[in-house]
Amino acid sequence: MNRQAVQNQTTAPQGGVTLATALPWIISTIVLLFIPLVFTSNSAITIMNQMAITIIFALAYNMLLGQGGMLSFGHAIYMGFGGFVSVHVINYVEDYSLPLPLPVLPLLGGLAGLALAILIGSFSTRKAGTVFAMISLGVGELIAACSVIIVVFFGGEEGVSGDRTYGLPVFGIEFLQQIEVYYLIVFWLLLSALLMYLFSRTPVGRMANAVRDNPERAEFLGYSARWVRFFSFCASGFFCGIAGGLFAINYEILTEENLNLVQSGSILLITFLGGVGFFFGPIIGAIVFTLLSTVLSLQTDLWQLYVGALFLAAVMYFPGGLAGVIMMHWPAFKMGNIRLLIGPYIKTFTPCLVGILGTAALIEMTFHFRHAAIGDEEMTLFWTTFNSHSVLPWLLVVAVTAAAFWLTRRNLPEMVAAWHTANSLPGVSK
Amino acid sequence: MDLILVNLIDGLVTGLLLFMLSAGLTLIFSMMGVLNFAHASFYMLGAYFAYQISLFMGFWMGLLIAPVIVGLAGAGIERYGLRRVHQYGHVPELIFTFGLALLIEEIVQFIWGKNQMPYSPPEILQFTLFSIAGNAIPAYKIFMLCMSMGIFIALLYVLTRTRVGMVIQAALSYPKTVEALGHNVPLVFMGVFGVGTALAGVAGVIAGPVLGTFPGMAFLLGSIVFVTIVIGGLGSLWGALVASLLIGWITTFAASYNVAMADILVAVGFEKPADLSESALRDLWSLTLPQIGPILPYLLMVLILVFRPYGLFGKRDV
Amino acid sequence: MTAVPALNIQGLRKSFGKTEIIRGVDLTIGRQERHAVIGPNGAGKSTLFNLITGRFPPTGGKVSLHGKDLSGLAPFQINRLGLSRSFQITNIFPKMSVFENVRCSLLWARGYRYSFWNMVSKSRDLSEAADAILDQINLSDRRELPAGVLSYAEQRALEIGITIAGGADVIMLDEPTAGMSHSETDYIVDLIRRVTENKTLIMVEHDMGVVFGLADRISVLVYGEIIATGRPEEVRANPKVQEAYLGAALEAEH
Repeated sequence: MNRQAVQNQTTAPQGGVTLATALPWIISTIVLLFIPLVFTSNSAITIMNQMAITIIFALAYNMLLGQGGMLSFGHAIYMGFGGFVSVHVINYVEDYSLPLPLPVLPLLGGLAGLALAILIGSFSTRKAGTVFAMISLGVGELIAACSVIIVVFFGGEEGVSGDRTYGLPVFGIEFLQQIEVYYLIVFWLLLSALLMYLFSRTPVGRMANAVRDNPERAEFLGYSARWVRFFSFCASGFFCGIAGGLFAINYEILTEENLNLVQSGSILLITFLGGVGFFFGPIIGAIVFTLLSTVLSLQTDLWQLYVGALFLAAVMYFPGGLAGVIMMHWPAFKMGNIRLLIGPYIKTFTPCLVGILGTAALIEMTFHFRHAAIGDEEMTLFWTTFNSHSVLPWLLVVAVTAAAFWLTRRNLPEMVAAWHTANSLPGVSK
Repeated sequence: MDLILVNLIDGLVTGLLLFMLSAGLTLIFSMMGVLNFAHASFYMLGAYFAYQISLFMGFWMGLLIAPVIVGLAGAGIERYGLRRVHQYGHVPELIFTFGLALLIEEIVQFIWGKNQMPYSPPEILQFTLFSIAGNAIPAYKIFMLCMSMGIFIALLYVLTRTRVGMVIQAALSYPKTVEALGHNVPLVFMGVFGVGTALAGVAGVIAGPVLGTFPGMAFLLGSIVFVTIVIGGLGSLWGALVASLLIGWITTFAASYNVAMADILVAVGFEKPADLSESALRDLWSLTLPQIGPILPYLLMVLILVFRPYGLFGKRDV
Repeated sequence: MTAVPALNIQGLRKSFGKTEIIRGVDLTIGRQERHAVIGPNGAGKSTLFNLITGRFPPTGGKVSLHGKDLSGLAPFQINRLGLSRSFQITNIFPKMSVFENVRCSLLWARGYRYSFWNMVSKSRDLSEAADAILDQINLSDRRELPAGVLSYAEQRALEIGITIAGGADVIMLDEPTAGMSHSETDYIVDLIRRVTENKTLIMVEHDMGVVFGLADRISVLVYGEIIATGRPEEVRANPKVQEAYLGAALEAEH
């Protein structure tokens, strides 16, 4: 994956801020500032808050996975720890009426995450690869298990809660409303994302890539691979902590769930689905995953099954994630050939989508058939209500699914051919 | 004294069970360099398959057939999934097995639901074999002990006395060389993966009735298995054995001796504060050994990693 | 030679298990000398390199760079003392662009260390230096390509570029022409001559012909021992070398 190459194409040769580098940031800022005017409902803002926090977490996670080549299975603890510290700070400040404005709280969360990362990283970054992954898992489990024992800090089963409206209003804002919290989160999102982006352009950030690609060679260039990993690890811990602080502000409660393997696993999933090879990959991952989980979990009880299958399929067929798929089209786009792909894509992916939906329908029907209450034979799927115990719907769905996959297979060669044409230079015949 | 004996037996059962998982994991890791995150999921599949088979053909057929199915499933996953991901490198491989673990749990929930299955020991083994000072030792526990011992001995025999075992042993020490020796490496990989997962399946079949057959059983045991092989040293079979037994005994003993931290602190000369509810150290005072038992393996792992990064017996750089 | 030698090796030994691969090597290489270590396959040339650069710990003996003892130092520490090496098997950063490869190898030497407050793209000095090196190794038109897609000869050239970028004054090249055609070899040898101007060069070569015009002095390593050191024509005339080198070479062919 030629991430650097692509990045270099978008930067001016001798550095400096150019319109090309600044444009994505300006657009994101404008979109983030005005999007609450489009989606005004409270639930939309709740989802956007969650999304923004996840984006910071996923970007911080990708500092390790994508940029440093370190796979962490217990990264929730850095965000969780930052969150717990923040909640405690909220309560402490309230109890003693200290003049700490809420907007700086995430910074404290970040410092807490950094402190934990320094402690753990001091021994876990000695090796990359499998050993690092195992240690991260063990340490993550250790701290998650501690959460039920060290009740003073982690609050046991019920967790620790606080009240974000503790202090004096900051410029007249009391943070009672979700929308006020939204703008606070957006501020930290933009700041953290920018800092993380800039980090990837610093000597240590560049060497993180080098150590990921070839730790031994990096050592022969004067850099200790271990220290490079350690610095990336600490930086990642810091930004995870910021995400944790924002989580504390947004939800006002932290529990064991913020530390456990499920949380750590989902951030891996989000980052990987988004694409680890590009800076913006985790952002896409966080947005898509948050939407997907919100929408799917309302529609079906089996959404985690689908997400798991999607994840596995991505690892096997699209290791570059969504960002990788998008960037795959960059050469064709630059050559102005993207329109050659539209027709074949529609012809192949429409039946493919129908086939996938048909498979999902079969899964849902099987599930209903097996697990619904006795006598409850009615089920609703794709706005249609039918009897899951009668033969006709089964035959129909099987037929549609099979036909759709057959059509996909038939149209596939045409798409592959179109792909080759679109990626060939003009004048060069295939 | 008698309690110690009972605990020794219990710990041995747990330890050998862990070894059945950690041995397979170690074999797979040593041969293929893949840490199979989904290993405990195959253990879970073993339990579920055996339960399903036992409904129709009884426990013993389950014990016979379920591990075979699990092994075949494992081999299939190696062939059609892992081998494909192998080309992308180690990190995607790890991520793949992680995703596999998630998916298997979801599939199990899809088929069998979220509740615990009424999978129980066969009736022929549901009696008390003997008792030590009033502590009944069920026959099934001794059966588990014999099974795991038997598998351990069989594994030892295969590894030290057969040709295949020699190849595997060579691969443990010199993974690159064996590849160069012209053995059908992909086939050996598939075989080792299949056997490793089948071993996990056996563990699931015999542990399911005692430890419970429910969708969370994989993750519950899975992380402990990983801790075990890290403590033992990645890629070392003896290390896996020693660490499994160590963890088996540590957790068993910790669970049965109700030593309170307060007693220890008082004994060393600290004075117990009168009002604990305000003290920031109140958790320290109210700690008991059974409470921290479950996290002892993790603590041990962190200590080992700090002081002996390659584990107890590990030599190989990963 | 009265000045402190660039590299001084005394009684260096290395065993793997029971097999002794390096059996007591003594070698002194002066400043700005171009020194070639030649020998048949399996003579221990690459092992010797790995011992000098801290990749493996030696079993006995010591190495000093500009009079400074290198025992127990990690590769990155040795590099910081001004010794840079290349590898026999191409060892670059495959996913990074060619330019990025070179720029990364400049970072430490230019004092950027582990800083996270400098932007590398902001430094004109860094970019210009990296481009100058790309120019030297003739890879300017490959600047933005991922290093992994370069041709073999180009990767070898990049390998040398990475090695010299940091400005180390002792350069060690491990079989820089391995697996190359005649014209490619000529190109690389010419490149080496240009980039190691006024530097100490130590290179391993399998083929005596390659180093003949290049090296000031040659050492012949056979079965872990140096059997001769001297000016190229002396070494070539040395009957011991002819016998051992040719004999071993013949043996290796069988």
